[in-house]
Amino acid sequence: MAVRFFGQFLVERGVVTSEKLLSAIELQEQRNLKLGEMAVNMGFITHDDIERSHNAQYSNDMKLGDLLVQMELLTPAQLSEVIEKQKENRLYIGEALVQVNALSAEELELQLAAFREDQAQYVSDRIELPAGIKNRAVWEIAADLTYKMLTRIIGLNFRPEKSIVVTSFTAGNIVAGIDFNGDVSARYILSASKKVKESIAKAILREENVESEPAEVIEDSVMEFVNVVCGNIAAKASQSGVVLDILPPVIIRQKEEQPITVPDGRIGVSFPIHVADGEKIEIILLIRQ
Amino acid sequence: MQKVLIVDDSISVARQLEKIINESGDFTSAGHARNGAEAIKMNHLENPDIILMDMNMPGMDGLTALRSLMALDKEVKVVMVTSLGGVGDKFTEAIKMGARNVISKPFDAENILRIIRAL
Repeated sequence: MAVRFFGQFLVERGVVTSEKLLSAIELQEQRNLKLGEMAVNMGFITHDDIERSHNAQYSNDMKLGDLLVQMELLTPAQLSEVIEKQKENRLYIGEALVQVNALSAEELELQLAAFREDQAQYVSDRIELPAGIKNRAVWEIAADLTYKMLTRIIGLNFRPEKSIVVTSFTAGNIVAGIDFNGDVSARYILSASKKVKESIAKAILREENVESEPAEVIEDSVMEFVNVVCGNIAAKASQSGVVLDILPPVIIRQKEEQPITVPDGRIGVSFPIHVADGEKIEIILLIRQ
Repeated sequence: MQKVLIVDDSISVARQLEKIINESGDFTSAGHARNGAEAIKMNHLENPDIILMDMNMPGMDGLTALRSLMALDKEVKVVMVTSLGGVGDKFTEAIKMGARNVISKPFDAENILRIIRAL
């Protein structure tokens, strides 16, 4: 029921042991050379060049390949050749598991089919974002996975509205937020009206009735839902090569009459969601630009 | 009956896991720690057979606690239960440190019991 990568799927199902998976990962690490190492292997640059470029990366927020071109250590054509060679030589985890005798080729095909079926529910749908947002693919994943988890974990029927840029937002229903750091940075906030919070708590606690639960438990359930959604966003983003770390969720409390202003250096994007019976949810992303 | 220590900052997750463990018939809860430091202390006091531990916790996180627990006892059986399970680097780091398995959230009861019964 969660976003997984193939190796984890196999260990969780007990198809391969964690020891065999580690052997396969080690084989991958030996065979899948990093860009700099591949460029050295192809005779384009030296290890000293890699060290110089790594030092330059401390003061220059660029990918190694682009930096090597900027420093005139590689030509753009050579960079393309190196990337192409990396793709050609890439050893995927399934192939590595066959090579370390953890799986037969036939079993690999069967497991890949089962994995695709398991993950089909997380194939991204197109989400429309306002113009001018950087790293759009990550924020599309964030909204899309929230919608999918609201359907699959909470069982809500809802209608998402078009996302809009906001400079402030009201805080009455806001409960939980999580900070994303890494290749991109943002705060993810989930705002939900009372009945929606209770629906989330019922699903997280697996209880039919939560009326007698203290507010602390309801809030904790919503925080946990946000934690699960954001962990799965990080997992999905990592499949596209985007590294995201999440911090533990926090409760946000603010008086209803005091709107929260989007901080300087961030752009606020609101994703309003209408639930039956007039209940509401809103996701707000405060994206560092 | 094997004792299972639950480590998660969320009281709602701990409640769910305790219910699954106590209703399983072959496991019993050894209590609930809310961060890595508490987990190390409770592991010493309760001597559980299995530890189910979250990764993303305030204070000492799950991976730091896993490293400490493994340094104290290489045989300790830790299964990470985390929303970050699908992040390849986190999964690999946990397995390299000695976690017996990594279960992604949202989880289902049968999967958790199947995995800990196989340890």
